[in-house]
Amino acid sequence: MELKVAIVGCGKIADGHVEEIQKIGTARLVAVCDRELLMAEQLAVRYHIRSHYDDFEQMLDVERPDVVHITTPPESHLALAMTALNAGCHIFVEKPLATNHEDAQKLVGAVEASDKKLTIGYTYRFDPPALAVREMIRKGFLGDIVHVESYYGYDLAGAYGKSLLGSPTHWVHCLPGKLFQNNIDHMLEKIVEYLPDDFPTVRALGYRREHASYGDIRDDLLDELRVMILGKATSAYATFCSHARPVGQFARIYGSKNTAHIDYVSRTVTFDSSPKFPSALGRVFPPFAQSWQLFREGSRNVLRFAKSEFHFFSGLNRLIVLFYESIIRDVQPPVPYRDILRVSRMTDEIIGQVFEPGSVQRK
Amino acid sequence: MKILVTGANGFLGSALVERLLVHGEVDIRCFVRQETTSPRLAGWAERFPSANVEMFRGDLTSRRDVENALVDVGVVYHLAAAMKGSAADMFLDTVVGSKNLLEGLRSKRSTRVILVSTFGAYGASGLPSGALIDETTPLESCPDRRDLYSHTKLRQELLFREYHDNYGFPLVVLRPGPIYGPGGRAMSTRVGIPLFGLFLYMGRNNALPLTYVDNCAEAIVIAGRKGGNEGEAYNVVDDDAPTAKEFFRLYRQHVEKIRYFALPYRATQVLSTLIERYNRHSKGQLPAILTPYKSAYLWKGNTFDNGKLKGIGWKQIVSTEEGLMRFFSYLRDTRDGRIH
Repeated sequence: MELKVAIVGCGKIADGHVEEIQKIGTARLVAVCDRELLMAEQLAVRYHIRSHYDDFEQMLDVERPDVVHITTPPESHLALAMTALNAGCHIFVEKPLATNHEDAQKLVGAVEASDKKLTIGYTYRFDPPALAVREMIRKGFLGDIVHVESYYGYDLAGAYGKSLLGSPTHWVHCLPGKLFQNNIDHMLEKIVEYLPDDFPTVRALGYRREHASYGDIRDDLLDELRVMILGKATSAYATFCSHARPVGQFARIYGSKNTAHIDYVSRTVTFDSSPKFPSALGRVFPPFAQSWQLFREGSRNVLRFAKSEFHFFSGLNRLIVLFYESIIRDVQPPVPYRDILRVSRMTDEIIGQVFEPGSVQRK
Repeated sequence: MKILVTGANGFLGSALVERLLVHGEVDIRCFVRQETTSPRLAGWAERFPSANVEMFRGDLTSRRDVENALVDVGVVYHLAAAMKGSAADMFLDTVVGSKNLLEGLRSKRSTRVILVSTFGAYGASGLPSGALIDETTPLESCPDRRDLYSHTKLRQELLFREYHDNYGFPLVVLRPGPIYGPGGRAMSTRVGIPLFGLFLYMGRNNALPLTYVDNCAEAIVIAGRKGGNEGEAYNVVDDDAPTAKEFFRLYRQHVEKIRYFALPYRATQVLSTLIERYNRHSKGQLPAILTPYKSAYLWKGNTFDNGKLKGIGWKQIVSTEEGLMRFFSYLRDTRDGRIH
């Protein structure tokens, strides 16, 4: 079975979706849509996509896609997703699912009431190192999860950062949680997998570190966020950081037996274990053990590169493959809806605390 | 008559405003980004006290900003374009921004529009080695096979022509070659490309269609102010432009002794073929920075002509020798724009 796929929203992230969909043998990208026809046209021309539209409903009507990827700004996600769902499409929505938890619940509820499936762009979960750690946890190597640290580095000088700082009319400035709302799904998706609680305690602190003053709405943008999350048996720290260099992406999972460190940028996994030798010897050997692990991981990555399995969007590719398989085989989609909703609930809590009057917003 | 200049604070834009003032224009509105500072404004006010040079801060992707900027304007010089960034951002800034401007011009059919396009809009890859590129050369028919800048600029020019055909405002197009001068980038890709700390020097004996920034600005003003040339396009290339070999030798002599690896055209084509094949085989694991199509466009050995521009009275105001010395002196004294 070959799935007919369409994309709505032809901004930067759409390139990644197109590239990964076009690698998948079980799917055919038939059309793209953007309310600005020139944007839809450029994507169609660059990737040789058959049709492009500036009318979403017309695209659904003419192309009859099986799956729609929604890569528009978040405030349009709910309406577009409902339209696609009503047209009988499965939906892949870029993060965040919606601009608040209530809308996220509405959408998930509508999906559950239908025979269609939903997934969201939680790509870090499907990066090769995250898959490796999941397997080690399943085998019991880490023991019980005690604590999780999730670090999300953001580059304000990168393509996305430049774009939103370059214009006071950029849609990010209109989101209730601004920059955080558009990004912390990635910070939280790494946590909820290991934190079983539905209603953990959340304490958040957001602020704006020094950068240029624009004299407009851009000055309201906060760019540093620290969050502490406390469940019954597991806790977590989450960091969103725009100013530390290098721009890192990592998670550390502290288990009752061993601790895993996932580096999503260099795509490595290393484990810290308790010393096997007594006294000073116990401090001499661990660096060599760490070096050996990194050497092994580096060698694996060379092999992956040689086998052309080291693409930037490896996680997105894996997620799309699993999502399409779940549609074809009619099994559970790759990201549990419960996790999507817990992320949206935590996001609401964080944004509520950070942007409430009197919260710390240092300049 | 009020003149609107988009991209007025850019490398070419500020030189253009200067040349407009020199030519006696006294009412200029500079469309610049919100956060743009305008260090040259005070200098212009001092040197051209009778002129009114106004800074209009806005965003071309905002229809409202564009509408406001066009109030009372009789001539538009459109220079604003994204030089780099993601594909979506470049199309948004260059093409969608242009569409907003054109929508604003629909109700102003007498407004004269001068578009600064690019030499890169030509489709030269399929031409034989040594072919002359002039204004009769066809535009690129496979923009997706070229670099993003050329693709976005070509789409921009085609959009202007569509609106010109549909709404009839007077349109003049200029297609400059690589623009150089103080404040500009050190090296056109027509000379070569930096890669992992090494400079791949592929230009060799190719002619460089360079234009010094003030010469280019002068050409835009001459074409913009001349009447009766609506619908025409002009290539902007200086006289006595150096070959890539001469330019590279002078750069190494006057700016920095960079390490380089020289590749003849045949070797470049072999390398480009391998890179393109690997890109396909690996499904884009590494970008196809070189392809045979791109390499043919850049280094196959075309020649250039500025006869049409001279025919409307353009004269080079800074000699190529002087322009190169000014440029190299700037690069030597600042580190901005150097290769390494």
